[in-house]
Amino acid sequence: MKKYIIYLSLSLFFILGIFLYQGFSLRDANLHLVVCDVGQGDAIYIKTPSGKDVLVDGGGNDKVLDCLTKHMPFWDRTIELMILTHPDADHITGLVPVLQRYSVLHFVTSKTSKETGIYKKFIQALREEGLTPKYAFLNDKIDFGDGLISDVLWPSPDALDEFKSPARVNELSVIQVLAFGKFKALLTGDAQVKVQDRIVGSLSGIDVLKVPHHGSKTGMSDYYLNKLRPSLAVISVGKSNRYGHPTSFSLDLLSKYAIKTLRTDRDGEVEIISDGKSYWIKE
Amino acid sequence: MKNSLIFFYVFLILILSIRLILFYSNQKTYTQGEKISFVTQVNSNPKEYSSYQTLYLKLDPINKVLIKTDTDKKLFYGDYIKVSGNLDILVLNSGAHIFTLNYPQIEANFRENNPALALVYNIRQKIINNFRSNLDPISSGLMLGIVFGIKENLPKDFLQSIQVTGVMHVIAASGMNVTMVSAFLFYLFASFIKRQLAIFFSILGIVFYTAIAGFEPSIVRAAVMGIIVFSAQILGRQQYSLHTLLITAFLMLFVSPELLFNTGFALSFTATFGLLYIPDLFKRFQNSFTESFITTISAQIATMPILIINFGNYSVFSILVNGLVLWTIPPLMVLGAIAAFFSFVFAPLSLLFLYLSLPFLYFFESVVGVFAQFGNTLNIKNFPLSFVIAYYLFLISIILFKFKK
Repeated sequence: MKKYIIYLSLSLFFILGIFLYQGFSLRDANLHLVVCDVGQGDAIYIKTPSGKDVLVDGGGNDKVLDCLTKHMPFWDRTIELMILTHPDADHITGLVPVLQRYSVLHFVTSKTSKETGIYKKFIQALREEGLTPKYAFLNDKIDFGDGLISDVLWPSPDALDEFKSPARVNELSVIQVLAFGKFKALLTGDAQVKVQDRIVGSLSGIDVLKVPHHGSKTGMSDYYLNKLRPSLAVISVGKSNRYGHPTSFSLDLLSKYAIKTLRTDRDGEVEIISDGKSYWIKE
Repeated sequence: MKNSLIFFYVFLILILSIRLILFYSNQKTYTQGEKISFVTQVNSNPKEYSSYQTLYLKLDPINKVLIKTDTDKKLFYGDYIKVSGNLDILVLNSGAHIFTLNYPQIEANFRENNPALALVYNIRQKIINNFRSNLDPISSGLMLGIVFGIKENLPKDFLQSIQVTGVMHVIAASGMNVTMVSAFLFYLFASFIKRQLAIFFSILGIVFYTAIAGFEPSIVRAAVMGIIVFSAQILGRQQYSLHTLLITAFLMLFVSPELLFNTGFALSFTATFGLLYIPDLFKRFQNSFTESFITTISAQIATMPILIINFGNYSVFSILVNGLVLWTIPPLMVLGAIAAFFSFVFAPLSLLFLYLSLPFLYFFESVVGVFAQFGNTLNIKNFPLSFVIAYYLFLISIILFKFKK
């Protein structure tokens, strides 16, 4: 009997050690923006300065789970906010296992839908979690209460009519600027150049750009980058994907403006940390 | 041994031989192109090629059939599957023939429709949900695999690592796992409550476990063997348990002769045998701390050749990795079973036991992760049967020598 108590105490001791380690190493007052390495697709994990967990898209497989496991302590099984930019498979698929395995408190998405199997599966998982979507529109604001604010730039209500055809859900992607102090990051979803050029007019001081649509040919224009001039661009893309992303057109454009570019297919996951004054990339 | 005892065993062996000969000589014959459909348990790991995979399946007690199928069909050791297709018979140069099935219809995870089991599956699903919403994907998948043989939830990459390092058998709820856990439960309870009561509680625990594992025949057999033998061990002398083990095995073989070539049966028989006799060889190292380690090592020594034949030909690291991780199995199974039990009674307590299992799970994951990097470059192919026989003769003679003294 004594022996088992000692075993259990040892195990308790180790788990307390892990608890303390993760408690200290994964907690600080900074904003963490992680572009997860999920292959072809988007999945961006955000830890707000006060430690809230936010997930923007889930990628096209369940690799996002590894990303969450790595960045969240083992006892934290709650995602405070889940955002789906638009319901394409390479953004929605990974959200299904996340809904099954985590407790998700809020869900925000674009007011559009699809007829695919994975979309139905997602809606089912959403229902089982007891979540009803809130639709994001231009001028909406999400205040995390700790200095981090998300400004929604797209879609505008009349865009719903303009891009009604199901083939154009990309154009209805939720686009948002994350602002923490002086730091600003632009999350673009898969919206194409027509939309991106429209939102870029009002923007200034963007540090980090999530390159639209995995660096496809129709994601960015010269005008767009010239206006935006971020210091860092991140492309979420899979190794030798069948779409040929990122295109040399996009890469040339980025190098024309001398923008440091990181790609998840080459550099793996990209973690950007900001204290509200400056930002740095975690090695 | 007394003469009457020798006579008794000779008699048993004679009866069993007649039964086996009659059974194996009256088997069905097959014709080329015949349409067949059968339910079988996957007994080995598929070989993957770029666009297809091949796997030997048991067609009937004596015949194997080589199937070829798409790589996206997930086939795991221990799963029951229903296969239907047109049989091909290939005659080799040597004159021997092999059966093949090309791209047959495969119904994975085949289960007989049984309303009594519906409740069990319901319970099982609840446990799966509880585990995976509280632990990370690898830990929860590993835990479900180790405790209940449920493999669907393991991430593909990690499953690959498990296969490469040759520890697939621990997530297959094999007979050996059940045997190890029944031994663990019996000695755990016997160390602090009355023997009769200890047996009662252990049996309850084992029955709960076999129910959640879906009453798979291999697990039920291992459980029966464990219950009978360890009860005898606690109640009586060591010799009694040997006789109960032999008689139980005899009865099982007599009722279903196809067990003769069943990996799970061989594993639970040898593991039980090992747990009864091998710990004595380590008596001088025995104290309350090494005890569970010795228990595990004993099961491992007794089953090693069978493990190598069935799983180990994937990696030379298999023996090393097994040696490093196997001691975590009994505590993990016990913690997992308790956590599963409490997911219905009182969820926070279930969470506590899941957290307590995390250090063991992390250790297991790291060892598998480290050795998986080395890959499977060096294979032990065609492990000779003569070595297996020599191994067991050697083992038995050591045990006999020890007991003569």
